[in-house]
Amino acid sequence: MAGPLAPAWTPETTTGEESDLDRPWVTVVWDDPVNLMSYVTFVLQELFGYDEPTATELMLQVHHEGKAIVSSGPRERMEHDTNRLHAYGLWATYQKDT
Amino acid sequence: MRPFRRRGDQLVARLVDAEAGIVGLLLDQLEQLLAADAADTGGDPVLERLLPPGHTGDPAIAADYRDMTEASLRSGKADDLATVRATLPPEGGEIRLDDEQARAWLRTTNDLRLALGTRLGVTADTEPPDDPADEEGSQLAVYYWLTAVQGSLVDALVAGPADRR
Repeated sequence: MAGPLAPAWTPETTTGEESDLDRPWVTVVWDDPVNLMSYVTFVLQELFGYDEPTATELMLQVHHEGKAIVSSGPRERMEHDTNRLHAYGLWATYQKDT
Repeated sequence: MRPFRRRGDQLVARLVDAEAGIVGLLLDQLEQLLAADAADTGGDPVLERLLPPGHTGDPAIAADYRDMTEASLRSGKADDLATVRATLPPEGGEIRLDDEQARAWLRTTNDLRLALGTRLGVTADTEPPDDPADEEGSQLAVYYWLTAVQGSLVDALVAGPADRR
């Protein structure tokens, strides 16, 4: 992920020996027939600090394409992001970036 | 129901007696479900939706995620539920929430909708019931009513305090 959809997170400086661990993981939000579009947009703004147009774009991507990557970074951080999304009832998983 | 509106620092709505009673019953059901041992409810699609897998593909990673997060996810939902119960007028009346309580209401009404929606098999094509009098129709009517409650709360939170608009 890059460009305007990149999360508001600055990668930490890392040493070379962590290169494999550094391969980014991603958090994916999946489409769901229950969650309101306005609610999903609100949650993405609330949890990730996206501005409203970015959050809306991601929500629409979930709605139309079935899923969207909402954050990327180290595995522990993606676990945490997935957990925060689950607390809000969004359907989310994390995986190694492909 | 008078939907949620921002009034100063608070988010305010009003429920009639019967509506507050229904919310109370749904909270009881959700509380029981969240307190249940996973072994006793194995395969329950509602619990599966409320406490979903964090990873698919590698079972070890999925198990790792569940071990690390399930207890706190359950207790967070129970805390939210307790906040909703504490701010719900049991016989109807005005609900007044600060921003933190409003977030608990958002998450809990979402959980109630997820639970009902999963039980009723709601899809993107589901529409409000033609006959709210039959059993499934009445549950679907409750689902859509909760949708209106939650939707008004999202809109009121997004609108922000009136003096800052």
